[in-house]
Amino acid sequence: MQSITKRYPGGVVANDAVSLTVLPGTAHAVVGENGAGKSTLMGVLYGSIRPDSGSIEVSGSPVTLRRPADAIRHGIGLVTQHTTMIPALTALDNVLLGFEPSRLGVLDRRMGRNRVEELSAQAGIEVDWGASADALSVAALQKAEIVKALYRGARVLILDEPTATLAPAEADRLFAVVHGVVASGASVLFITHKLREVLDHSDHVTVLRGGAKAGDRVTAETCADELVSLMLGSDRSVAHSVEATPEASRRSELALQVSSLTVRGRGGRPAVHSADLSVRAGEVLGVAGVDGSGQRELAEAVVGLRSAVSGSVTLCGEDVTARSVASRAAAGLAYVPEDRHREGLILDFDLSENLLLGRHRDASAGGGRFLQRRRVLADAARLLTEGGVVSAGATAPASSLSGGNQQKVVVARALARRPRALVAMQPTRGLDVGASAAVYDAIRARTAAGMGVLLFSLDLDELREVSDRIAVMYNGRIAGVLDRDDAAMDQLGKLMTEGRP
Amino acid sequence: MILRRLAPAVQPLLSVAGAFVVAGVVVWACGGSPLEALSALLQGSCGSSTGLLRTLSKATPLLLSGLAVAVALRAGLFNIGAEGQLILGALAAAWAGHAFTGLPAWVHIPICLAAGVVVGAVWAAIPGALRAWRGSHEVIVTIMLNYLAIQLAHFLVNGAMKDPVSMAPATSMVEPSARLWAAADGSNFSAGFGLALLAAVGVAVLLRHTALGFEIRAVGLGADAARVAGVNVGRTMISAMAISGGLAGLAGAIEVLGVHRRYLDAFSPGYGFDSIAVALLGGGNPVGVTLSSLLFGGLSAGATHMEAWTHVPRQIAGIVQGVVIFSAGARYLKGRRR
Repeated sequence: MQSITKRYPGGVVANDAVSLTVLPGTAHAVVGENGAGKSTLMGVLYGSIRPDSGSIEVSGSPVTLRRPADAIRHGIGLVTQHTTMIPALTALDNVLLGFEPSRLGVLDRRMGRNRVEELSAQAGIEVDWGASADALSVAALQKAEIVKALYRGARVLILDEPTATLAPAEADRLFAVVHGVVASGASVLFITHKLREVLDHSDHVTVLRGGAKAGDRVTAETCADELVSLMLGSDRSVAHSVEATPEASRRSELALQVSSLTVRGRGGRPAVHSADLSVRAGEVLGVAGVDGSGQRELAEAVVGLRSAVSGSVTLCGEDVTARSVASRAAAGLAYVPEDRHREGLILDFDLSENLLLGRHRDASAGGGRFLQRRRVLADAARLLTEGGVVSAGATAPASSLSGGNQQKVVVARALARRPRALVAMQPTRGLDVGASAAVYDAIRARTAAGMGVLLFSLDLDELREVSDRIAVMYNGRIAGVLDRDDAAMDQLGKLMTEGRP
Repeated sequence: MILRRLAPAVQPLLSVAGAFVVAGVVVWACGGSPLEALSALLQGSCGSSTGLLRTLSKATPLLLSGLAVAVALRAGLFNIGAEGQLILGALAAAWAGHAFTGLPAWVHIPICLAAGVVVGAVWAAIPGALRAWRGSHEVIVTIMLNYLAIQLAHFLVNGAMKDPVSMAPATSMVEPSARLWAAADGSNFSAGFGLALLAAVGVAVLLRHTALGFEIRAVGLGADAARVAGVNVGRTMISAMAISGGLAGLAGAIEVLGVHRRYLDAFSPGYGFDSIAVALLGGGNPVGVTLSSLLFGGLSAGATHMEAWTHVPRQIAGIVQGVVIFSAGARYLKGRRR
C-alpha cells in the first residue's frame, strides 16, 4: 500500500499518506490507539472503503479494489471481530457459501469438505465442520472464518482485533494458527492494541497515530517502551496548552465518589472490578487505560445507564446508586458520551431540540408538560452563543454541523444545568485543536465554580495536560492513581499495559 | 422558506400522481377511457354533497387509525395492530352503548368513546410492554394480536354478546342516547368526522408541544441518545403504543356509534390495515395523515360511482391505493436504512 489517504466529510483525516508493505510468509502487526486509523486502513485494503489517493499493489502489480469481491479475487481475506457466519448453516456450508464446488451444477460437498480439511490441517485448525455455526464457540467461529478466507484463496489474511473477545488460552491457540498460516507461505496482517501480542507473534510492526504512520519496526529489533512512545507520541509537542485547575479552586469536599463498584459488561462478563475513585470539587480526575479496559462500563454505571452489581456511587455526599439517569442528572450529574452521533445527539432533531433533550421537563429550559417553544428557542440561542457554536441558528438540524460544533452542543447541554459533577468520555475525540480547546475551556469554566470532572481519554498527552490526577484502568481495575506531576509517560504506559508500576 | 416547508409534500404528491397514471394506463389497456373513469371517480367522491359527505365518512376511520399508526411510527414503532385495536374498541363501545340505559347523551356518548379508547389502548400497550421489557418485536406481536382480536370479537358476537332477537352476528343496537349525530342522506356521514379532526389537532399538539411528544419523537429518531439523556425509553414506547391503540379504539367506537349503531361482525373492511398506508403516505405527521385519509376516503367513495357509470371495475381504485402504498412504503424503508 502506497501513500493511502482517506478524508471523511467534516475534514477528519483518517489516513494521511500511510504506506504499508507486507512481505509474503510473515505476520505483520498494525497497532495504534483508537482513532489512529487502523480500521480505515484495513477497510481500504479490503475494498470496503475507497481511499482519496494512494495505490495498492499485490505481488508487484497494481490493483484497484472497488468492493470486497475485488479484494477476495486478489487474494485478500478479512476476518472481522464479529462473525459473518449464518447461524443455521453448518460451519462447512458457511465456508463453501458463495464459492460452492459443484459438478454439473450440483453441489459437491465432499469435494468442498476435502479442500477445507486440507486447508485446516495445513494451518493446524480443528473445527467440527458438521456442527451448525450457532453451536460453535467464538474461538471456533474465528478459526472457521480463517479457513473460509483461505478457502477463497487468500494469500493475505487480515485479522481485525482477533483476540478482543477471546480468553487468554484461546488467544494463544489462535496465534498458533496464525503461525501455521504464515508457515504455509501466506501473510497475516493483524490489528491489535495489545503490545504483548505484537512482540510475541509478529515479524514486523507498523504503528499508526492520529491517522499517520508513526513508525515501522522489525519486531525483533524493538521493545514495548519504544512501541508505547510511538503509539502515544510522547515526543509530540503540546498542541494546546490547558492549565490544570489552580490549587486555590480545588476544594476538600468530594463531588463524586465511586466505592468498590463492580459492573458487568456485554454478555454478563465482569467489566469493572470493585473500582474506587473520588473526585474532589473543582478537580479533574483523568482516567487512562488501553481501550476496552472497562472505561465505558464504569462511566455508564456512574451516570446510571448500567446497573452496578455491587458498590456505590455518591454525588456530593448523596448516595445515588439506585437512582435513574434522569434523577441523577437532576441531582447534578452530567454526562458527555463517547459517541456523539449515536448517544450524544439526535441528528434529525434541530439544535434547540437537541439542547432541550434531557431538560425537557425543566421549566427553566422551556420544558414542562407543555413545552414553551419561545423559551426553548431563546434558551438554545443563549447556549449556542455561550458555547461558541457556529451554526445557522437554533432551528438548524444537528446533522448540518461540523464534528467540533456538534461536540460543543453536547458539552453545552451537559453544562447547561450547572452540574456538580461531569463524566466525560473522550470529549475531544476526532476534534481539531481549536475545537478541543473550546471544549476544555467550557469544562474548565465550570470546574472553577466547583464542578468535579471524571475524564476518560485514550490520549495520554491530553490527560496529562488537563487532569489534576490520573487514574489508570487495567483489565477492569483501577491499577493506580498518580498526581499529574508524578505521571511520567513510561510509568503510565506500564500501568496501562501491565497493570502495575 | 415556504418552499422548504412544502418540500416534504413533494414526494407523496408525486407518488399519488404516479399512481393515477398507472391506474389510467391499466384502464386504457383494458379498452376503457381513463378520463371518463377519472371524472366518474371525482364525481362520486366530491361531485355532489352526498358524495363529499361519503368521502368524509369513509375518511373518518382511516384518519383516526392513520393517526394511531403515525403516533407509533414517530416513536420508531410499527403498529400493524390498528385493526385489532379498532375492532376491540368498537366492541367495547357497542357494549357500553347498550349496557347503560337512561343516561343523557352528553354522558353516554363520552362513556362509550372512552370505553373504546381504553380497550384499544390496553390492547396496544401489550405489544408496547413486550417490546420495552422483553425486546419482542412489535410487528410480530401486533400481527398475532390482530388474529386474537378478530377471533375474540367473532366469538363474543356469536355467543355471549349476540343480540338475542337478531339473526345476524351482531350486538344489540346501542341506546339512542349513545348515537352520534349523522346525516340522513345515506352518506353515513356523522359527527365522528369532527371528532377525528379534533383528534388530529390533539396529536399535532401532543407531538409538537408536549414533553411526552418530545420524548416520543426523541425515541423514534435516536433511542440511544434519548436513553443517555435520561429518557425512560421503555416507558415512552409503552405510552406511544397506548396512545396509538387508543386512537384506533376511538376509530372503532365512532364507526359503531355513528354508522352501524351496533357492533356487526366483520364490519371493518380492513381500516386498520389501510391506515398503515395512510400513515406512511402522510409521512407520520397529522396534517399529512389528514390529507391522505381524505384521498383514500375519496377513492373508496368514488370507486362505487365509477363502477356504476363507466363499467370500469372498482378494483381500479385499489390499483391506485396499491401503487401509493408501494411507493410510500419504499420511501419509509429508505429513510430507515439511512
